[in-house]
Amino acid sequence: MRRKRKPSGDRTASYGISYRRNPGFFILTRIIILVSVIVILFPILYIFSLSLRTEKTMYQDTFFIVPKAVTHKNYIAAWEYAKVRLNVTFLQMFRNSIICTVSAIVLAILFASLGSFSFSNFKFKGKELTFTTIIASYVVPPQVLLIPLFFIMKRLGILNNYLAVIFPYMGFSIPIATLILRSFFEQIPHEIKEAAKIDGARDFQVLLRIVLPLAAPAIASCIILLFLETWNEFIYALVFLQNPEIQTIPVAIARIAGGKFRLPLGTYGAAIMITVIPVLVVFMLFQKWFIAGMTMGAVKG
Amino acid sequence: MFQSEIYAWGIKRRAYLYLVPSLLIFLVFVLTPVVFSLTLSFYNFTGFDANIFKEYVGFKNYGTLFADKYFWISVRNTIYFVGASISIQVAIALFLAIIIFIGRFRLSILIRTIIFFPGVLAPVSVSLAWRRMLEQDGVINQILGMNFSWLSSVQLAIWCVIFVSIWQWVGYNLVIFYAGLQSIDIEMLEAADVDGAGWLTKITRIIIPSIVPAIVLNVILNLIGSFRVFDVVYVLTRGGPVHNSEVLTTIMFYYSFSAYGPNKMGVGSAVAVIMFFVVILFGVARILYMEKRGS
Repeated sequence: MRRKRKPSGDRTASYGISYRRNPGFFILTRIIILVSVIVILFPILYIFSLSLRTEKTMYQDTFFIVPKAVTHKNYIAAWEYAKVRLNVTFLQMFRNSIICTVSAIVLAILFASLGSFSFSNFKFKGKELTFTTIIASYVVPPQVLLIPLFFIMKRLGILNNYLAVIFPYMGFSIPIATLILRSFFEQIPHEIKEAAKIDGARDFQVLLRIVLPLAAPAIASCIILLFLETWNEFIYALVFLQNPEIQTIPVAIARIAGGKFRLPLGTYGAAIMITVIPVLVVFMLFQKWFIAGMTMGAVKG
Repeated sequence: MFQSEIYAWGIKRRAYLYLVPSLLIFLVFVLTPVVFSLTLSFYNFTGFDANIFKEYVGFKNYGTLFADKYFWISVRNTIYFVGASISIQVAIALFLAIIIFIGRFRLSILIRTIIFFPGVLAPVSVSLAWRRMLEQDGVINQILGMNFSWLSSVQLAIWCVIFVSIWQWVGYNLVIFYAGLQSIDIEMLEAADVDGAGWLTKITRIIIPSIVPAIVLNVILNLIGSFRVFDVVYVLTRGGPVHNSEVLTTIMFYYSFSAYGPNKMGVGSAVAVIMFFVVILFGVARILYMEKRGS
């Protein structure tokens, strides 16, 4: 009955309103979408334009966006400001964010794959209860754990250490990754795994050589989903990483631009853009994966 | 699909072995803190205390909290926030998704990507951008020709925060709706055309009923997401002016960790406990709802 369609292509063109039959409505949809796109793009374009303006042309712009004269000096100023005033370089911020994000994601996916392998291949007591408990923790707001975690980290002696955020990030990532990976692992035909076992492979080798490579798409969407959550995470980093040298980007930028002291407009814009541009580049490179990854995680949840 | 064969490897002790790393992290950094947080609200302590269980105060922390008028404002604001994100935000996303779906846009993918993209940015960066724009000499006032201090308004500050949050996440909802719209049977719409149905009828009778699952999903996601919102409020207003835009998470932070706060972690824990039970309540409500629908 149902028509076969291209999975992600622009198949909507096959059905919908047409200009000939419904000119008023057709134009109205264009206006609505145009306005929405402008509302979404404006803030980023505006901040980008601020970051490029010279001091003289800061308030002389066309349509609030196009600067009259362009300079790159604001970026240098932002860099210097962070270094001199707050004793932190953007390079350090990025290094910290990369360390925390990468270790948390790699470990979380590794642990979650092991766990999902167990959930999808073995029968054992309390299996569904364990699974449900892990998954249910997804709805607990991170702030509920904030105070107890603070004291746990203190007791473990890892406050003001990357580990203080890596562990909780893993704690929040493992449920999401387990949810996605388990359902994916269960779709892998058992015959393939059985064949490998007959050839003498151990369980662990089956996981490593067969299950994981086949689950590459699921792992990719896990990576994207978890990357966004951990890279942008704020409150744990704010509380557990009080030493400026190890603060991640969101905390550092909040300190640089969010303080009581008002930065010059251009510097302010540049500081924000330095944190936004890398994510934008990654997003543009892996655009399709991002949307697929984020919606997949959502649908599974 | 392979249900009968899934568990063919049977009961083995190795099964637990594979779970150990996950469970260890989960136990130490999720489950323990949850249990811990339930008891902490009965004690009086600060972040500098070595022994936090030394001063048992019973329900006094809750008393302090309930006597604080700004706690009730934060409750109200959280309700506004959650309410707006599950109604206004979902409605806008649904509206735009349907417009894009029926509008035959040649650049449909590009449009969806653009509306989606704020969702990948750090809420902190987004909020910093908007904070500058919403200031008295900011660009929003330039555009509107007004001279209004949006974020210092007692009534409007929280709505500015909500607006920024909707701006950031509406595309995420839209993409989920759009994925749901792919499953609509075009033939049914064509049949409706033959019957002479207008767009309003087609939208309300065919399109919306067939994406109810996507609506439910978006409502649940926004419920979870907006209840825990912190960054946007913290960066845009710090809960101000004078605590009038606090939400539960920020008032908890204020009581426990803020340099300007009273450093009463017991009271902060009380907020955490309340948040935890609200989540449990939602969870139970959802299970009941599912069972009712299932039967």
